[in-house]
Amino acid sequence: MLFVLLCSLFTGCSQKEGQITIGIGQFAEHGSLDNCREGFLAGLKEAGYVEGENLKVLYDNAQADGGMAAQIANEYVSKKVDLICSIATPMAQSAFGAAKNSDIPIIFTAVTDPVLAELAKEDKTPSGNITGTSDKLPVKEQLEMIRAILPDAKKIGILYSTSEINSVSAIEEYKAAAADYGFEIVIKGITAAADIPLAADSLLESVDCISNLTDSTVVSSLPIILSKAANKNTPVFGSEVEQVKIGCLAAMGLDYYDLGIQTGKMAAKVLKGEAKAADLSFETIEAAAFYGNTAVADNLGINLPDNLVSSAKEMFSEITE
Amino acid sequence: MFRLILGVFEEGFIYAVMALGVYITYKILDFPDLSVDGTFPLGGAVAAILIVAGVNPLVTLFLAFLAGAFVGMLTGIIHVKFKVRDLLSGIIIMTALYSINLRIAGKSNVAIFSKESIFENSFLDKVVPEPVKFLVPIIILLLIIIIMKLLLDFYLKTKSGYLLRAVGDNEVLVTSLAKDKGAVKIIGLAIANGFAALAGCIYTQKHGFFEISIGTGAIVIGLASVIIGTSLFKKRGKVKATTAVIAGSVLYKACVSIAISFGMAASDLKLITSVLFLAILIISYERKRRVKTNA
Repeated sequence: MLFVLLCSLFTGCSQKEGQITIGIGQFAEHGSLDNCREGFLAGLKEAGYVEGENLKVLYDNAQADGGMAAQIANEYVSKKVDLICSIATPMAQSAFGAAKNSDIPIIFTAVTDPVLAELAKEDKTPSGNITGTSDKLPVKEQLEMIRAILPDAKKIGILYSTSEINSVSAIEEYKAAAADYGFEIVIKGITAAADIPLAADSLLESVDCISNLTDSTVVSSLPIILSKAANKNTPVFGSEVEQVKIGCLAAMGLDYYDLGIQTGKMAAKVLKGEAKAADLSFETIEAAAFYGNTAVADNLGINLPDNLVSSAKEMFSEITE
Repeated sequence: MFRLILGVFEEGFIYAVMALGVYITYKILDFPDLSVDGTFPLGGAVAAILIVAGVNPLVTLFLAFLAGAFVGMLTGIIHVKFKVRDLLSGIIIMTALYSINLRIAGKSNVAIFSKESIFENSFLDKVVPEPVKFLVPIIILLLIIIIMKLLLDFYLKTKSGYLLRAVGDNEVLVTSLAKDKGAVKIIGLAIANGFAALAGCIYTQKHGFFEISIGTGAIVIGLASVIIGTSLFKKRGKVKATTAVIAGSVLYKACVSIAISFGMAASDLKLITSVLFLAILIISYERKRRVKTNA
């Protein structure tokens, strides 16, 4: 116990005068979430908070362990940081629970459905001293894009983790909207990365293309899916720029870095005292951006429609491993 | 600072409930029971779904315990009746529970922030004045852990409890008393997993949401608490094993907290835990040996 005491005294004294300390808790290690964090810091920088100068950043990654997320959140609350940034749903919920009896504001990002997670009420207003940005997928735009690229396709396959709430709610949306574009959604749930090869094989038997969610487990194993799909000449659509870079045909997706910047700016407002987290409704990126990969299109023998290509936020002409 | 220590005790007490269960299986029955990785979140799923349905949060504590006890019984039956090895019985149940927990909760993450819990409800709002509200969780947790400890101490002194301890030490003795050692094991596993599920139920109410990943590595935390506690306090006069386990759980959480404070990455924490674990095992072994050679 004495040890804990000494340690916290030690860390408590190391804070510089006039410096703002924030804690960034990230639920898992994964490209999109990392982009969120970098964008977040960039957004803060634009607003005048520079790491190392007037901003001290504590960063912890829970490595997808729920118990660890709770411990990290507790840590930030007991250190009385000026603001907690939580990346992904379980981290945001842990921080919300931990900071309940304190006045520390929480800014979240990469939470797909803040209302379902009870971080916000039905009307988008916060449930407490917490707000942020949602990474809700632009499902309709994605379906519209797939229809434009594959006029004859009927079945879209989706792989998802049964343990990821974001994926489950995205699939509901896909199912609800698919018929409007003449598609049928075929889903395959997995419980671990080890299930992916077999699930991908079985899915590829019956579908015309695959569309990805932002499911951490599936995205982490994307190369397996891409190579299996390439063998069957089946196009795979991504949900985010990183996925198009490594070999998805195209995506109508989010830019997590931009999402981070938007989140960083919200955090700056709160830090400057211009607004209270408790009064800010959560935000979503409204405009979906098109990303395409011409190398993949050539391999599949598919022509990407000109109007999509000309509106693209970024086009890639090679597949980066 | 005070908050930090408070947080360590809160987390320590929650996991101590599970550690008391792990103490029964690991120390008393000599049964490495991996099913707690599944029964801990099972308690959470039961709590979340019942609370959403409007069941009184206090009642969910009992129901979560019962659910855990039922599953622990299954682990026991698989082991005792079907002669499956102890480790495998636990793995089978743990794996099955992943799917079952998802079925129970309906989804992988259920938020209950807006609902009443044993830590936050209209009764407490009325009774407790605002400035001391932050002390409510620790007091409630302290009450729960004391009650559970006393219940377990009491049980271990009953006839059934004596048999439980005898099975771990000397199976032949139990058989010679014309008692069924299998049945005793099943009871032990049921109680242990009841404790684990109760801990998961408390965890979920404390943090305000159920998440399928909370069970990851629960058994490691449980074992660490039991081993740290019993190794450090065994020779210290009259400290009861159950008390030692609770202290072990708090100490374990303190170590994790210190590691995070020093900026250790969560990915390295498991390594730190292992090293700590090993060090304690070696130290306690050293001491045992010295005592023997001195004697």
